[in-house]
Amino acid sequence: MKQFQLLLAVTLFTVATSSMAATIEMTVNGLVCAFCAQGIEKKLKKLSATSEVVVSLEHRLVAVSLKDGQDIPDADLRRALTDAGYTVKAIARSETPIADVRERLKQAQP
Amino acid sequence: MVRLFIGLCVVGVAAPAAAKPIAFADGTTVMAEYGAGTMQELQIFYAPQFDYSVGGGHVDFTSDVDGHREHINYARLNWLAHRWNLDDAQANVFVWGGAGSAIGNRFDGTRIAGNAGVQVDYETRRVYASMKSDLQRSSVFSDRIDTLQLGVAPYKHDYGGLATWFVFQARHYTGELHSGIETAALLRLFKGGAWIEAGVTDAGKVQAMAMFNF
Repeated sequence: MKQFQLLLAVTLFTVATSSMAATIEMTVNGLVCAFCAQGIEKKLKKLSATSEVVVSLEHRLVAVSLKDGQDIPDADLRRALTDAGYTVKAIARSETPIADVRERLKQAQP
Repeated sequence: MVRLFIGLCVVGVAAPAAAKPIAFADGTTVMAEYGAGTMQELQIFYAPQFDYSVGGGHVDFTSDVDGHREHINYARLNWLAHRWNLDDAQANVFVWGGAGSAIGNRFDGTRIAGNAGVQVDYETRRVYASMKSDLQRSSVFSDRIDTLQLGVAPYKHDYGGLATWFVFQARHYTGELHSGIETAALLRLFKGGAWIEAGVTDAGKVQAMAMFNF
């Protein structure tokens, strides 16, 4: 019975971890208008690992949520933003769900 | 270096109008402008990359000095010669050039027309400044429009929200299209990929523009 409980716990943990969407947050220079955001969103959504994109002009932030088990190398992110016409200043990765990032940005609106 | 040379050559030759001729990579821009009865223009451009777009347009000029008219169809290449991505601002230099055909009431038949122009702009989420010069030229006419725009936003918009701008415009026409400097007060609104702008000139005429990016 204990072995079954242990197996169940490990299975649930594995499922929970693998389904947790990783998020990449990028600080971007030149983000001043909706057209800028529109172009960046369009570019990033073309990447196969992209699940969702959030853009905040206020925070100069572009956040990308990744599909389960997938990743986008920093070089590809920088290239995508450069090809969209913008400059990436910093890239940070976290396990924060994109919905939480969106909520955090909403709360931080002046 | 070669690109810079081509860009400078384009500026040296000959014209379009409106906001930014390139919105974003793999994007299509449709613009229509009603310039106080003196100029009316329709343009459509597709940008394969963020730094250039191709397309064409149609422009009508009607002189409020002597009533002469020109109607021009053209194909054009727009090039983003340089962009500065700053922390909270962006600045751009665009150049463009192309060729087309013109008819008018001061000459017979169809004439080949060349066009070229340059635009320098700077914007934050609260202020906007743009200087633009467009030239349409043929063997029988040379019409250039120089436009200065200064804009102020009452609040900082964000993506998905409505952007509001109050814009002052000063415009100078050559080719005896209009005498003196024409000024206009405009209200600019945009949300998502749609942009509309409307106002009145110092002569009480309507000035308006609409632009769609998709």
